[in-house]
Amino acid sequence: MQVGGIVLLMLLGYLLVDGDYSWPVSLTWQELPAKLDDAQTWLLEQRTAPDPNFFFAILDGFRALADWLVTALTDMLLWLTWVGTIAAGTLLVLRFGGWRAALITFLAFVSFAVMGLWEESMQTLALMSAAVLLSLAIGIPFGVLAGRSQRFHRTITPVLDAMQIVPAFAYLMPVVILFSVGPAAAVICTMIYAVPPAVRITALGIRGVTADSVEAARAFGSTAAQTLFKVQLPLARRQLLLSVNQTIMFALSLVVIAGLIGGRGLGDVVTNGLYSNAALAILAGIAIVIMAIALDRATSAIAERTDPTRRHLTDRGKRHARVLTLATFAGILATVFAARALGADSVYPDEFETSTTVYTATIHDDLLRWIQDALDYVQDPTSFIFGITEPLGNFILENLLEPLRKLLVDSPWFVVLGGLTAIAFVLSGLRPAITTLLMLTAIGVMGVWPEAMDTASQVLVATAIAVLFGIVIGVWAAESPRVERLLRPLLDTLQTLPQLVYIIPFIYLMPVSRIPGIVASVLYAIPVVIRLVTNGVRGVPPAAVEAAYAFGASRMQVLAKVKVPLARESIMLGVNQGIILVLAVVVIGGLVGSGALGDMIARGLQRNEFGEGVVASLAILALGIALDRVTRGRRDPSRA
Amino acid sequence: MSDSSGSAAVESPEATPPAGGNGEPLVRAENVWKIFGQKADRVIGTPDAELSRSELHDKTGCVIAVRDVSLEIMPGEVFVVMGLSGSGKSTLVRTLIRLIEPSAGKITITGHDVMEADASELRELRRHSVSMVFQHFGLLAHRRVIDNVAFGLEIQGVGKAERLARASEVLGLVGLEDVANSFPDQLSGGMQQRVGLARAFAVDPQLMLYDEPFSALDPLIRRDMQDEVVRLQEETGKTMLFITHDLPEALRLGDRIAIMRDGAIVQLGSPEELVGSPANDYVRNFVRDIPRTHVLTLRWIMRDPRPGEESGGPELDVKTTVKDAVPVAAATDGPIRAVENGRCVGIVDRVSILQAMAGGPEDSGGGS
Ligand SMILES: Nc1ncnc2c1ncn2[C@@H]1O[C@H](COP(=O)(O)OP(=O)(O)OP(=O)(O)O)[C@@H](O)[C@H]1O
Ligand SMILES: [Mg+2]
Repeated sequence: MQVGGIVLLMLLGYLLVDGDYSWPVSLTWQELPAKLDDAQTWLLEQRTAPDPNFFFAILDGFRALADWLVTALTDMLLWLTWVGTIAAGTLLVLRFGGWRAALITFLAFVSFAVMGLWEESMQTLALMSAAVLLSLAIGIPFGVLAGRSQRFHRTITPVLDAMQIVPAFAYLMPVVILFSVGPAAAVICTMIYAVPPAVRITALGIRGVTADSVEAARAFGSTAAQTLFKVQLPLARRQLLLSVNQTIMFALSLVVIAGLIGGRGLGDVVTNGLYSNAALAILAGIAIVIMAIALDRATSAIAERTDPTRRHLTDRGKRHARVLTLATFAGILATVFAARALGADSVYPDEFETSTTVYTATIHDDLLRWIQDALDYVQDPTSFIFGITEPLGNFILENLLEPLRKLLVDSPWFVVLGGLTAIAFVLSGLRPAITTLLMLTAIGVMGVWPEAMDTASQVLVATAIAVLFGIVIGVWAAESPRVERLLRPLLDTLQTLPQLVYIIPFIYLMPVSRIPGIVASVLYAIPVVIRLVTNGVRGVPPAAVEAAYAFGASRMQVLAKVKVPLARESIMLGVNQGIILVLAVVVIGGLVGSGALGDMIARGLQRNEFGEGVVASLAILALGIALDRVTRGRRDPSRA
Repeated sequence: MSDSSGSAAVESPEATPPAGGNGEPLVRAENVWKIFGQKADRVIGTPDAELSRSELHDKTGCVIAVRDVSLEIMPGEVFVVMGLSGSGKSTLVRTLIRLIEPSAGKITITGHDVMEADASELRELRRHSVSMVFQHFGLLAHRRVIDNVAFGLEIQGVGKAERLARASEVLGLVGLEDVANSFPDQLSGGMQQRVGLARAFAVDPQLMLYDEPFSALDPLIRRDMQDEVVRLQEETGKTMLFITHDLPEALRLGDRIAIMRDGAIVQLGSPEELVGSPANDYVRNFVRDIPRTHVLTLRWIMRDPRPGEESGGPELDVKTTVKDAVPVAAATDGPIRAVENGRCVGIVDRVSILQAMAGGPEDSGGGS
């Protein structure tokens, strides 16, 4: 209600205030980009100085470590030969995750081979593994600490929150400045993104160990270490492995973006192909999706199957398991040495030669041709698909995006500033409102007010669409188990896809300026919104529903008057999460013509305009925090 | 409601000396307090400490879980703490071995000052002298039954062969040899709690703490388990502190019973004393549904012998319950002699037995 009033006032402000009230120059710090450029030069000098100080020595040491790890892992995968790698992956998953997961793993490897993307896939696998190892090396100890100490948990929660609000795209620039372009930078970016979930899920696992077991251990005189190693870790093991799973998923999700800053592999193919060879980019995107699905299935199968609280291993079973493990490793080694002895390549070859003929070993070229055909079809103005996507894209652009962009960009700045702050106050309270005000002011001072408002308009439109559809589908799924069953695998898959992969198809499907970013971000955010809404509606106390039916309410009445209102908090949370997810993808859209802040970063990365890029990064950060605070609602700040 | 909850523990005037008679108590707790909340330590010793639980909560946000509790437990005794949900029973047992840090008080177990103990002394105490059985079993789901039973020994650093030998011995004691290789979730609730019992017994402690060990079990199994505890206690002579909210259970097991309310002990005495002379309306309400004749013994209802009565006629042991005296009284017209160690210590007759059955005059006499 109040929000509607504020929006109305903002509209009036837009219509009634005449003249040019764009962000005043006097309130802008114009030298900022230049200063940042200077700072970057200075940093570069410091880093390359013959005897760097402690801070830079650490940075450099870490960079060397990450680089070394990526190289070592890549070398190892190549040393195994392609036959050995397939054998190792499949047999390991077979031993610990069961045959289903092993089959998926095997098929994934085969598909990298026949797609002709073996080397790139291995590079990506190595890059991702390095990032995951380092993320876990930080995330698990911190998670264990947070699981054991409430105070530590409270201290790091805001840090984790902040790390997760910032769109990955926004920290590419700073990371490049500190670590230069290369595998290390890619690993660091991935870590910033993947450490928070590792910490959170680990902490959740440790906390999830029943207090009873921990208390019993203490009552029998366990030391803290005994309690941890004999009770908490084994009981939390499944959850810990799930945190590995999530870390992998998050890491993989960044691998594509990492291509922009020197991560080799599939991500590189995607980001380069985006402009030069669309079909190849799409093919690499498909390989990433396959990798994501296989890794997801394999790690979650392993988590389930090795859980000691369910496995019930007796002494004989343990011996048996040990023998199997030995056999697995023996089998892998035997395969690798046999393959090397028989002269298998380190990389799956493009063609096999026999003494008489040469066979093409991959269907790389065929795939590219098919994809190109499909691209030509969807872009052909006479095609059926085009007849749907084109008008839809134009509709969103003309009726939603443009008006809102105009409202935000062309309104007097103080109207927008005051309006958003007021909305934050009404929805979330005083402190979030102050934060919002500060963040928006910072954006103005940095001199990117119009770009930020443009980005904000894209985010708001995409969020509105995601939330609208998310609520409808979420409520539907909550009401009908069948819909939920159908939806679940789809949502699971959507959630495992890397952010940029969402955008690729829509660059061709809806090639209208900002639309690909919008559609992709809607798809990226909607699974989370649907899940939150479904859980919220499900979580409505049955007694309330029963009472409503007892008074003779119809199903629709129960929905509208009981379930949805009672699920309000979850829905609000859905809006809040949705807006952050949308922002992350919308700015990536800058790579493909969405303009605004994302574009500034893309340009910064591609043309080394560091100052501009960093300003845009900071503005995205500020915008993210502001949007989060506006929609945060009066959530319990001490949520665990 | 009107009862001032600030009152200290009330010992019945006739409190019998604890079983075991003279000698040092195994556990001595003096003026133990536990207050949960931010400024808990600023409450004790101020007038605020006299406030009722809800008043204090409204005023300071603190919750008094244990209020000025003192008790002594003699070696070999089964001491029961009883009270409604939230009365502070679990908190009290946990403060004894500092699983929950007491806010104030002095605690001695086997002559050692628990409050002064440092971390390693405390661990030694928990490893060797005291063990605990939990309401929700607290078993470790990733370990076989036998490894669960051996857990306490493992923590002490006992070697594998030795601890498994000891564990299977104890499993035999509770009749679970057959499931040694099973996992806890493959057992019924009753069997799981037997594992909990075995785990506590395995370390051969001097004191066993039971926190409502059977309230998660259904009534039939609960009776079995109570028999088990009685049997184990008779066989091993362990000292036990047993928490329950079930009065029949308390009366069955306890040599002495402390009744708690809002963190304080409102009465402490033998089962007979509680039933025969409740200290106040709160306790009276509690014991109202207990058939007095099943609890009261001849000692409770007898009068001094008059000259000439000390010989002749039927005689019964002074510990016979009134219920069991009824058939004898029915068969004889004269007085019945209550004897202890072959000596007549009192006389009961039909009138006193009938009075006891009807809720006799003692009722109003007790504990005021
Ligand atoms: N960690 C805690 N923080 C705050 N209050 C607590 C805590 N633990 C217990 N309390 C409070 O202390 C009081 C006593 O709790 P306690 O668990 O000792 O009761 P109880 O007699 O064991 O009850 P039950 O029969 O339900 O187990 C209760 O009011 C409880 O709410
Ligand atoms: Mg309790």
